[in-house]
Amino acid sequence: MMKVFLTDVIVGAFAIDLNGNVIHKVVAPNDINKLVERVLKIEDDQPTDEFLRLLDELVSNYGKDLEVVVDNENYVKYLSDVGLKAVLEHGSEVLLRFREELPKHFVELGFIKSEGEYYEFLHTISLTITRSKLRRVAQKRDLLAVQAIRAIDDIDKVFNLFASRLREWYSIHFPELDDLVKEHIDYARIVAELGSRDYINEKGLKRLGFSEGKINKIINISGKSMGAELSGHDVEPIQTLANIMLELDRLRDELTSYLSSVMKEVAPNTTELVGPLLGARLLSLAGSLETLAKLPASTIQVLGAEKALFRALRTGGKPPKHGVIFQYPEIHKAPRWQRGKIARSLSTKLAIAIKADYFTGRFIADRLRTDLEERINEIKTLYAKPPVKVEKVKGRKPRRK
Amino acid sequence: MAEVVRVYGHSTYKDVYVVELEDGSTRLATRNLVVGKRVYDEWLFKFNDVEYREWNAYRSKLAAALLKGIKELAITSGSKVLYLGAGSGTTASHVSDIVGLEGRVYAVEFAPRVMRELLSVAESRKNLIPILADARFPQRYRYLVGYSDVIYADVAQPDQASLVLLNAKHFLKEGGYLYLAIKARSIDVTKEPDEVYRREIDTLKKGYFDILDVIHLDPFDKDHAMVYARYVK
Ligand SMILES: C[S@@+](CC[C@H](N)C(=O)[O-])C[C@H]1O[C@@H](n2cnc3c(N)ncnc32)[C@H](O)[C@@H]1O
Repeated sequence: MMKVFLTDVIVGAFAIDLNGNVIHKVVAPNDINKLVERVLKIEDDQPTDEFLRLLDELVSNYGKDLEVVVDNENYVKYLSDVGLKAVLEHGSEVLLRFREELPKHFVELGFIKSEGEYYEFLHTISLTITRSKLRRVAQKRDLLAVQAIRAIDDIDKVFNLFASRLREWYSIHFPELDDLVKEHIDYARIVAELGSRDYINEKGLKRLGFSEGKINKIINISGKSMGAELSGHDVEPIQTLANIMLELDRLRDELTSYLSSVMKEVAPNTTELVGPLLGARLLSLAGSLETLAKLPASTIQVLGAEKALFRALRTGGKPPKHGVIFQYPEIHKAPRWQRGKIARSLSTKLAIAIKADYFTGRFIADRLRTDLEERINEIKTLYAKPPVKVEKVKGRKPRRK
Repeated sequence: MAEVVRVYGHSTYKDVYVVELEDGSTRLATRNLVVGKRVYDEWLFKFNDVEYREWNAYRSKLAAALLKGIKELAITSGSKVLYLGAGSGTTASHVSDIVGLEGRVYAVEFAPRVMRELLSVAESRKNLIPILADARFPQRYRYLVGYSDVIYADVAQPDQASLVLLNAKHFLKEGGYLYLAIKARSIDVTKEPDEVYRREIDTLKKGYFDILDVIHLDPFDKDHAMVYARYVK
């Protein structure tokens, strides 16, 4: 009687003989959703489709005169269902060796390009599976994302408000710095860490990471500043304000990385397509993932531009082409006349992504993204030139051909 | 925090570092695999352009075991480690630092709330494979976990030893090592009056583990000892 060893791994089900050769296999399609579904079945101690097919094919190829070894007791039952004799054996040499050679098999089956990629593949799969399992037990995590993005937006507002105040205040002492240092955070760092003009020196600025050229400029001008001399007593409160800005900046970083992990869990497709921040803003505008998932693409396209939309409806003017999705880089970087087209295409894909996030949890965003990129390139070539204005004068053209 | 005076490799434990500070005190540390990123509230130290993460013995039982002088650290760069009860990743992240990108940490944790934190640690650590599963059923994650050099177990359950045996049978290679954090009240662990403790050690011995060292973690952790054992199947 021939002895075969059966095992179910991420990418498919395998039958192996005593010498460790694969005598038969049923391989799963190379699609992350399929693989995740398989794995969830394996974890629930259910046989995968591939495993059941492997059993059928084994029987039709080799007959029932087989001694089959498995390392999962739950499989014994499925074997006897098809009339095969099953032996349970934990840690059999043959299966262990096969598992050790998995990287090689993965390459041969085309799931990865080289054995070196094996662990990266496992890492990606394990993260995806874990997220999808967490999603099953998750409650209201979309609402956490909504609050987090609103907190980030609050921080941005406060930060900008404080930045103007800081510049105005510190300018009494060192007015020239306002033009020299454009980034608010850099400006705040100088004030917080160095304080009074007297302490603004090369060593300090270098520590803050300014370039050679910039340092020279600042030191140069600081020597002949027109600002008022201030005592430490007067500089201190200005520094406190600057320190709070640095603190806000840190908090923003923390919230952003928190938001990113929540978004990857509650809305992986949306996040893959437009990033965690924009994804969360859409959630925030709709109120929840459920509401967002029920909106048509045309509404998603103008979410966040309600004022302009109602104005247009009232006055019969032009409706807005995009709401918050304007933040998507490919839209705001595009020339004006392409934006509406890109916005329409993006919102169509977004609607699909959001529905997948809410209803099925399947990961389809890689395909959506390729489609979107293709369409954007098409728009860029088809409408490379601005439309000719005169056409309007000729009267109304039918909108569609 | 005081300035770093120097950093040197630990004399006994490979791939573990000692950071010496200006005030003369020293800290245990690992080389940060993800520069700039903290996992809990540990300090980051920079020395000669390399970043180290303070390894806090009050937060991590493995660090406590090292400070208390456990015989060996069988986890080194390139090791494959099956970590049972990874929690939010405090210790697991240091293990991930130690084994480096050639190594692997299979981190099993069954509480979703905790796993969420572990997941965000794993996102930036390519050698950390998060597994949301119950360690009592190793066949459910056998498709992910390969042969391991070391099992590190800290699941804080009364029947830990049998859970370890089951996992060892599936994944631990012959001659592999085990670190097991075990509940033990008395500091002289060999005279532990606790019934549970003795039963656990017995189970390990019957399951082909040679006990190489047992060390109480007091004062860093008053309720636990670390068992160090070798799998002789
Ligand atoms: C003491 S904590 C681990 C702390 C962690 N080892 C560290 O040092 O950073 C124990 C963890 O084991 C987990 N746990 C308990 N029983 C488990 C089981 N059967 N399977 C998986 N995880 C389990 C708990 O959820 C908890 O997070």
